[in-house]
Amino acid sequence: MHQLHLNSFFTGRYGKRAAHLLMLVFTVAILDYSLGALLDYYYFKQQSGWLYRTTYALNETNAELIILGSSRANHHYHPDVIGQRLHFTYYNAGRDGSYLFYHYAVLKGILKRYKPKMVILDFGITEFMKNQESYDRISYLLPYYKTHPEIRSIIELKSTAEKLKLISRIYPFNSSLVTIVAGNPVFHMTKDGDKEGYIPLHNKWNEPLITYNSSECYEFDTTEIRIYKMLIQDCINAGVKLYIVASPYFHKLKSTECSILEGRKIAGLYNIPFIDFSGNEYFTARPQLFDDSYHLNDQGARVFSGMLMDTITGNTAGTPGMKLSGYTSSSSNRNK
Amino acid sequence: MVFTSFNFLIFFPLVLALYWLTPARYRYITLLVASCYFYINIKPVFVFLILGISVIAWVLALLVSKTENEKKKKALFILNIAALLLPLFFFKYFGAINNTLAALLAENNLRWPLPEIRYLLPVGISFYTFMALGYAIDVYNEDIEPEKNPALVSVFISFFPLILSGPIERAGNMLPQFRKAQSPNYDMIVKGMRLILWGYFMKLVVADRLGIYVDSIYNHIPEHNGTSILFASILYPFQLYADLGGYSLIAIGCSNALGFNIVPNFNKPFFAPSMAEFWRRWHMSLITWLTDYVYTPLSFLFRKLKIWGIVIALLFTFLLSGIWHGASLAFVAWGLLQGIFLSIEALLNKKKAAFEKRHNLDRKSWYLTAGIIITFILFASSMVFSRAGSLDVALTAYRKIFTEPGKLFIGSPSTIIYFTCSLLILLLKDFIDEFYPEKFKMFEHQSSLVRIASVSMVIILILLIGVFDSSQFIYFQF
Repeated sequence: MHQLHLNSFFTGRYGKRAAHLLMLVFTVAILDYSLGALLDYYYFKQQSGWLYRTTYALNETNAELIILGSSRANHHYHPDVIGQRLHFTYYNAGRDGSYLFYHYAVLKGILKRYKPKMVILDFGITEFMKNQESYDRISYLLPYYKTHPEIRSIIELKSTAEKLKLISRIYPFNSSLVTIVAGNPVFHMTKDGDKEGYIPLHNKWNEPLITYNSSECYEFDTTEIRIYKMLIQDCINAGVKLYIVASPYFHKLKSTECSILEGRKIAGLYNIPFIDFSGNEYFTARPQLFDDSYHLNDQGARVFSGMLMDTITGNTAGTPGMKLSGYTSSSSNRNK
Repeated sequence: MVFTSFNFLIFFPLVLALYWLTPARYRYITLLVASCYFYINIKPVFVFLILGISVIAWVLALLVSKTENEKKKKALFILNIAALLLPLFFFKYFGAINNTLAALLAENNLRWPLPEIRYLLPVGISFYTFMALGYAIDVYNEDIEPEKNPALVSVFISFFPLILSGPIERAGNMLPQFRKAQSPNYDMIVKGMRLILWGYFMKLVVADRLGIYVDSIYNHIPEHNGTSILFASILYPFQLYADLGGYSLIAIGCSNALGFNIVPNFNKPFFAPSMAEFWRRWHMSLITWLTDYVYTPLSFLFRKLKIWGIVIALLFTFLLSGIWHGASLAFVAWGLLQGIFLSIEALLNKKKAAFEKRHNLDRKSWYLTAGIIITFILFASSMVFSRAGSLDVALTAYRKIFTEPGKLFIGSPSTIIYFTCSLLILLLKDFIDEFYPEKFKMFEHQSSLVRIASVSMVIILILLIGVFDSSQFIYFQF
């Protein structure tokens, strides 16, 4: 009886149904392949924008100093100040909403081509907090899966099915259509004003300082900690000077965030300087140096970059109101 | 596992194949195992809760039906209702009440003996509790026979397509379908697949994209001006419709493919010209549940009060609906607002009908359009409370809307472009389905070429602009 039901299901219009299904699969495959190829072509033809900056960092830059990190890295390290002080060529590979996985992938891509003299990793105060978003944002790297085998293992951290999803040619460019159009000069869009990857912010924050009560330490993401250690180790192996920096915030914490403590501890094990400006009182007293509570504006970036350079070069005497927390000058000199 | 996870795209075809390959009389067992596996994948421990609720519903419904003594029968029925409601109360409301009392006492330097409670809400508990309650009430009212097979009651309550966000089904519709040996129906499977595809479009392309913008405003109300809050408040009802509507379509589509007919949950709600009509089109399975088990008995109870009896029944029903949606005063306010809107409509109904007749308004398109717009404004304004989540935030949002105009927050221009395009597609489809149901068919077009092209385009749109790494469904916490 059961067999009979199945038979009746597959008889009659079986051929027509199978043909329709095949046509559907074929149409979707053709559309996916052709649109994906078109997106791929225009993605790598971009001349500006944040997608372009990732491509540039991975494929083209040969700067002596590389800045890695999220939006805070992107807006906090002023190329004029840093270039003037270190006499290094500079590229800022910081990208909005990115996490350690992305930073490490960019570093791997760069180290495959050449060895920069110095790398500054901007470290967020909740860097090791378990957060699904940090895995989701690995999607920034999907367009490079085919061409950059060295970062595949990082991309595959996104999910176990990532390889399978990448059968689709459109998938790596999901939600990128408008950005790709905007980044292509062929479409006559306005270029955004980056300077060696650095994007200045110009707003002046005028909200009061918020003090957060220290919370209990959260569960760390062990994979992120592993990636952090690998990033440090890769720099050491390549002979690249690495500075890990927690740049300023416009909010105050009653005690140091546990990610900062852990990040500093791990950096110490590898003799890597960890410079903590996250609770720096010079900045928390000056809202006018911020664009919002998380990001310095251009003026703030100049001030902070100057202070950072003072710290790195060991010249902290002339910095007004300067008070570094969580940093020992001896550790900063170890890696020089 | 959620419908939008990649795992579900592997899980469902496997279950579908296994289900139809299982001998007909054992298929419900395949479904029960699949449903437990589906739920275990979300949070393993809560599978015991859902199975416990199933056992309670099964045992007590059987006892109720076998008891001759009316008093005993009623007592058992009340016990059944209380036992089914207890987990919902405990997980959803007890923590909120406890924490509010503790905070109130602390303000007056008094100490509440219990510590702060923060439970993880079992996913879908509001939905499956209502399904179990419906079964208990139907058996008590002798509308249906009690089911003797506990596995069938369990599969009804834990049926995986409906478990997370409904539609809230009735035992009277579902149990006969579980019992019946069905044969695979090609047309039903194809219909189900089309619904699933459109559901994914609504959820991934429209709802989750709108959600990015709405969240960026509503999660930072103090930082935004009134213009941006107003814009987000206008978008939020569309987001919710695409979210729950899309999710419901996936649920109904999966059920169809498995051979089950499920009640619809949404019917182009934004083309409703009145609040009463709106609530006949929005979250229909919840509203019919509330109508049958709350509103109708209440209006019967208060029938001597005539129209005021209806007003009381409406207010109470929607107050309950608000509480069902969330354990906060904001949801109470939301529910009360719905009740007030509907009560005003009920009170003015006769006058309105006479006015429309006198001026022959019911066929005029401008009158219909005005009704649709007013209905949307009323609904969207009430949704500020539900989206804000607390009375304080909602009132701040309202204050800013009326007193702090400013430049509209754009955030990411691509997000605005994507959600504008996708929302237009969704509303255009609803418009055609509402006013020209026989024209411009896409998925049901006579020509297979048009059908294939339509399906392909929707798949490509999902791949191109769907949001794959999105937050949880909004209704998960209800």
